[in-house]
Amino acid sequence: MSETNSIFSSYEKDSKFYDEIFDEDGNVKKVYQTLFDLYSGHSSQDYARLNDKAKASFFNQGITFQVYNDNEAKEKIFPFDLFPRIIDPKEWEHIERGVLQRSKALNHFIWDIYHDKKIIKQGIVPLDLITSSANYLHQMIGVDPPGGIYNHISGTDLIKHSDGKYYVLEDNIRCPSGVSYVICNRTALKRALFGVFNHYNAHTVTDYAQNLLEMMETVKPRGVDEPNCVVITPGVYNSAYYEHSYLAKAMGVELVEGRDLFVENDFVYMQTIKGPERVDVIYRRIDDAFLDPLEFRPDSALGVPGLFSAYKKGNVCLVNAPGTGFADDKAVYTYMPEIIKYYLNEEPILNNVHTYHCSRPDELKYVLENVDKLVIKPVDEAGGYGISIGNKLTKEEIEKVKKTIQASPRKYIAQPIMSLSVHATYIEESESFESRHVDLRTFCLLGANKEFVLKGGLTRVALRKGNLIVNSSQGGGSKDTWVLKSKS
Amino acid sequence: MEYTIKYKAKNSYETEVTDALWQFLIAPQDNESQKLRLAEFKNSLNAATEESTNSLNFNIYRVIQRKAFKSIEFEANFIVRKEEVNPFSALDSIYNAEHYELINSLDFRITHEQFLNATELTQFPKTGINFEFEENRSVFDNLQQLNNWLFSNFKFKQQVTDTRSTTEDFVSRGAGVCQDFTHLFLAIARHNKIPTRYTSGYLHQGNGYKGDSQMHAWAECYIPEKGWLGFDPTNNLIALENHIKVAHGKDYSDCAPIKGVLYTSSSTNTTEYSVEVFAREENAPDVFTQSQSQGFGKRANQQQLDFQMQWQQQQQQQQQQLREQSGTIF
Repeated sequence: MSETNSIFSSYEKDSKFYDEIFDEDGNVKKVYQTLFDLYSGHSSQDYARLNDKAKASFFNQGITFQVYNDNEAKEKIFPFDLFPRIIDPKEWEHIERGVLQRSKALNHFIWDIYHDKKIIKQGIVPLDLITSSANYLHQMIGVDPPGGIYNHISGTDLIKHSDGKYYVLEDNIRCPSGVSYVICNRTALKRALFGVFNHYNAHTVTDYAQNLLEMMETVKPRGVDEPNCVVITPGVYNSAYYEHSYLAKAMGVELVEGRDLFVENDFVYMQTIKGPERVDVIYRRIDDAFLDPLEFRPDSALGVPGLFSAYKKGNVCLVNAPGTGFADDKAVYTYMPEIIKYYLNEEPILNNVHTYHCSRPDELKYVLENVDKLVIKPVDEAGGYGISIGNKLTKEEIEKVKKTIQASPRKYIAQPIMSLSVHATYIEESESFESRHVDLRTFCLLGANKEFVLKGGLTRVALRKGNLIVNSSQGGGSKDTWVLKSKS
Repeated sequence: MEYTIKYKAKNSYETEVTDALWQFLIAPQDNESQKLRLAEFKNSLNAATEESTNSLNFNIYRVIQRKAFKSIEFEANFIVRKEEVNPFSALDSIYNAEHYELINSLDFRITHEQFLNATELTQFPKTGINFEFEENRSVFDNLQQLNNWLFSNFKFKQQVTDTRSTTEDFVSRGAGVCQDFTHLFLAIARHNKIPTRYTSGYLHQGNGYKGDSQMHAWAECYIPEKGWLGFDPTNNLIALENHIKVAHGKDYSDCAPIKGVLYTSSSTNTTEYSVEVFAREENAPDVFTQSQSQGFGKRANQQQLDFQMQWQQQQQQQQQQLREQSGTIF
């Protein structure tokens, strides 16, 4: 690293974490070298100015979210970072195949659970794991969604661990959000630092909406030639309303609320000034429970009465299907490697965080010997209760945890403590680039004979030093993410 | 045996309603033991009516009113033929250990999982249940005992519970209506691993019977080798030809006879309804008995209409709720 450049001078290296920019010897990685040189040529004043410019770009695009506290709503932008993340073609190819594999396996899994439940009969996934989930909907039993697709849109959260490998933390297959930030981050970076794009050949991300629409058209109901697609939003008060309106506009389809739609004889119609117009495919950004007050939460004012019977009869397609939520559950996550093998007869491409089941004697032995290196979680508690993080415990506490596990081993699972990789990130306070933890959310589309993984993604960054939580509510920001084109 | 069933409901609102939709789950099911010979459904405003099915494939009527109104009356008439059932055919008092092995098998639990798990309304109460299945007794006998236990230990009493009452409420009060008896039956039977479903319908209590007649509820249990059999804990009966089934589900929430969605600023409404069930000569001409009703049984502000709301206010609240949920995604 260059001695003279001040903007990277406060960059701390910590061998405990995988660094995306610098290798073990402290040299800039090849793929980042050009970018690093370009950035090093500017002063900290330049970045302060560019940072303001990028912020302004977000306000001008109207991309804000609201933070709630004390009954007061504050309009904020999702902090955007000036230093992009670069993923080389080979690494990306691995990620892309991996998320597509998971997405397909999950679709098979959901179909099976709502039909034959073979995976349970085979003893691979326990029955109670599914039936105890509030997101498992009996209404979906035996329903055949158009094209056989349930999780049309998946958002997969990945991290790079200290071993330099990607691990999946979570599959999001209900209404994953964030894709609009991917596109806006690109726009903002282009506005702030157009020149850097001349030196890199990154894939576009603006083709997402086109692919989303194409995917929706593949899952049209039977007998429909040119499907009428819409996006349904809970309304302007929803924190993701910007994304709903952005996607509708980019696809050139109507953005509607529940009260704009009605059901007649099990078909869905939209009220228009020209009269009712049939709706065939609905990208719904409202939760299952609110979809139809006649079938789900009776007090829902956001949904459309009768929508579910129209769906069950195959007269409308809902994207994603209702009832997918049991499959992206934390407990089901631990079975993902088995689920992939069972349905696809393939080895998982992306790593799952390894899970030790204390109910199995040899795994219990390992857990008891390595409590300090593990996160211990009760299997039946939701919402983070009862979790012990091994490296934060005192000796006495470790002994106590061991006793608790030994008393009822079936109740506990353990996972290694995962660390998120770090990446150079512009920090306003120090007016320089420092290392901060990042993760990556990818977006995958699955239709009838249509597959698409957005070449890019949302790299979320924990702006607070040492913080591992990248959520926006915890002061997280995001980066433009470049997937480079292969040279051939 | 043939029955005529007359179902009437009247909804009145304090202020004008501009737009409304109701869903009725009241038509008798067509199945092996009963045939729906005739059905008619009308309303006082001539609002559009459609037929559809709910998620469990039971027939429903939907009424859509798009003009302003303050009151609406509904009337449904059905003629149903029930097959005569030999009351002894249900009895199965011979203990068979294989039946208990079967109900504990994984395949059986998978097939019937929908009716094996407790719901919010059918939680097994923490205290107050001194009933247990006896070993070396047939499944049928144990369920018959449960029917009897409920009938003997709880009182039928109206207006002490409502459609949202839990099994705990029922146990602590010691009294309730058929829904409460049925929910507790479901909780205990499922606790003992018997697939059990909430069943709604009509009960013929004898010609000329008036009084407070409403839709009835009982439980259906899956008995190995026999199939589904109805137990009516409110009356300590096995459901035979006097029980005319409309629908089943996990609990009351799957079987509510009326659900409504209203666009109104009115906060109060009254729902009046009545049900009459008459036995008739088989193959008598298909004319409905003229109303012998002595007026509706009044129950103001009842939960019969499952909800109504002040639309926009509610919508805003929910958007905010959703925002909080989805806010955590980032």
